[in-house]
Amino acid sequence: MSRFLIERPLPHGGRLVERVITDKDAAKKMIKGCPSYDIKPTLHFETGVPVRNVYREIMSICYGFFSPVEGSMKQAEVERILKERRLLNEWIFPYPLVFDISEEDYKKLGVGPGDRLVLNLKGKPFAILDIEEVWRIDNPEELAHLTFGTPERNPEVVKQPFDKKHPGWVIYRSLQPVVLAGKYTIINEPKFREPFDRFWFPPRKSREEFDRRGWRTVINHQTRNVPHVGHEFLMKCAAFTGDVEPCHGILVNAVIGVKRRGDYPDEAIVEGHEAVNKGGYIKPQRHMPSIVLWDMRYGNPLESLLHGIIRQNMGCTHHMFGRDHAAVGEYYDKWATQILWTKGIPSYGFPAPPTDVPYGLNIRPQNMREFAYCPTCKEMAYSETCGHKREKLSGSFLRGMVAEGVQPPTIIMRPEVYRVIVKWWKKFGYPFCNENYVINKEKELEVDLEDL
Amino acid sequence: MAEYFMVVLLDDHRMAKIRGTGLEEHIKYMFGGELRLLEVKVTEELKDRILQEFETARVDSRGAITDLPVAFMRELFNQVVEKRSLGPEVVEAVLEKIDQIKEAAKKESEYLPPPELEEEE
Ligand SMILES: [Zn+2]
Repeated sequence: MSRFLIERPLPHGGRLVERVITDKDAAKKMIKGCPSYDIKPTLHFETGVPVRNVYREIMSICYGFFSPVEGSMKQAEVERILKERRLLNEWIFPYPLVFDISEEDYKKLGVGPGDRLVLNLKGKPFAILDIEEVWRIDNPEELAHLTFGTPERNPEVVKQPFDKKHPGWVIYRSLQPVVLAGKYTIINEPKFREPFDRFWFPPRKSREEFDRRGWRTVINHQTRNVPHVGHEFLMKCAAFTGDVEPCHGILVNAVIGVKRRGDYPDEAIVEGHEAVNKGGYIKPQRHMPSIVLWDMRYGNPLESLLHGIIRQNMGCTHHMFGRDHAAVGEYYDKWATQILWTKGIPSYGFPAPPTDVPYGLNIRPQNMREFAYCPTCKEMAYSETCGHKREKLSGSFLRGMVAEGVQPPTIIMRPEVYRVIVKWWKKFGYPFCNENYVINKEKELEVDLEDL
Repeated sequence: MAEYFMVVLLDDHRMAKIRGTGLEEHIKYMFGGELRLLEVKVTEELKDRILQEFETARVDSRGAITDLPVAFMRELFNQVVEKRSLGPEVVEAVLEKIDQIKEAAKKESEYLPPPELEEEE
C-alpha cells in the first residue's frame, strides 16, 4: 500500500469517552436514595433569555464528542485551560465546561464531594454527576474575558474587547456561582425527535458508519446554516484533497443548540444539507449530514479547536476551515482560525498549530477561501483561482430574497434545499428563527425522555 | 461620493407587472441570467434616513442597502411600477408610507406568509 495513505486518527486523548448506561435496572440501582436536581437553562445575566442548556454539554461529553473530557471541570482544570488551553491530563481543550448552580440551590441540595447527584431533564431522570469538588466562580465577567481573550493578552488575533453583544461571552458571564465538579454519566438515554434522530451519529456510531461505507478519508464541513451552492462547492472541492485520491466522504456536522433570531431553524439546516445529497449534487454515498449538541460560543480560533476535537473523535481525517470560522461580529481577525491551524497562536498556548504540539490533534486542516459565481467562467469559481470579477452572494442578500418569497435561482440555492426551507417555514410560520421559535426550542429541546 | 442603491428582485409575477413600463431595458441579470433585478438609486441623505429608521438595515460592501422589512421591499416594488422610475423619488415615496410599513414590519417578526410551491412531480 502507498505510504501516502492517511489512516483514521485515534480519538483525542487516545480512547473514546463513553459514559452512557443503557441497562435501566442497573441505572435505577445507581441512583437509589440520591438527591436530585432539575437542570435549568442558563439565563442571560441581564435579559433573562435562555442562552445555554448544560444538558447539551452532558450529552456531548457522555457520548464522546468531547473526549477526553469526562465531566464538569475542577477549578484547577479551568484555570489551566484559561492559561494554556490544556486539561489536567495534558490534552489540549479550548473551553471551561462546568455544572453551575445558584447559592440558593446549593444550600437546598446540601451536597458535597463524594455525593452522587441525579440530574433531571424535562421532569425525568437523565444523568448523574458524581461530585468530586465544589468551587466558586467569583467573577463571571473575568471568566468570560479570560475564556475568549482580550486585545492586550491575545494581540495576534483579538481585535476588540468582548462584551455583551457576543453570545459566547454572555454564556460565561451568565454562569451561576457554585460549580459542582465531577464526572457525568447518562443513565436514561434521551430520544431525539424528528428530524434530528436520523442525524445522530455519536463518535462510536459515526466511526462504524465510516467503516460500513468504506471511507478511509473523511473531510468535515462545519455548519450552522442552510447550504447554498457556495457551501456545496466548498464541500465538494475541499474534498478533492485527501491522500492518493479525493476524500471518500464528506461529513456535514451541524451544531445544534441555542439559536439567535434570524438564524435558520435547526430542522431546516439538517434537512437542507440532506437535500443536497437527495438531489444528487453530492451523492449520498459520499455525503453524510450529522449533528452535535452545543450552544455555540462563537470563539473563532477556539471554537475551531473544539470543532477539530469533535470531528477527530467522530473519525474524520480532514477539517475545512473558512473565513470568520464560527465567528460573530469583529472581535477576532477574520482569518484567526486559519492562523491557528497554519502557525499557531502563542498567546493561547499554541506556539505551533494544535496538530504540532504535544497532546495535540491529529486531524488535517483544509483552509479554504470562497466560491462565487463567475459570469465569465460561467461556473462557481474559487476566489484564489478565477481571475474575473465574480458575483458575490452575501448571506443577507439571500435571506432577503427568501423572506420576500422569491425562489433563489438554482445556481444560488438548489430547489430541493429551498423546498426544505419552505416546508419548515409553513410549520413555524416563519423562514428564520423568530422569538417564538427561540423560546419554544429552549423549552422543548431536541429530545424527549421516557420514565426510567 | 459613494453610490447607494436597493435591489428589487423580479420573479415571473413581478415581470408581468413591469411589462410595458419602459423599465425592461434597465433589468440587470446575475448568475448566468437566472436572476433578474432592478436597482433603485438612493442618495446619501436617503441612505442615512433608512439606516436611522430601520435598525436592521445595513449597507453591504457594494453599497446595496439590505436587511429591510419585507413590507418595505414590497412597497419599493409598488412605487417602482407606479413612478415608472428607478430614481431617488421612488424611495422618497416609500418613506412617505413609513408608519404603515413599520406597523406591518412589527407583525412580520411573528409571521411571514410562506410561498406556494408547485407540487413535486
Ligand atoms: Zn472566472
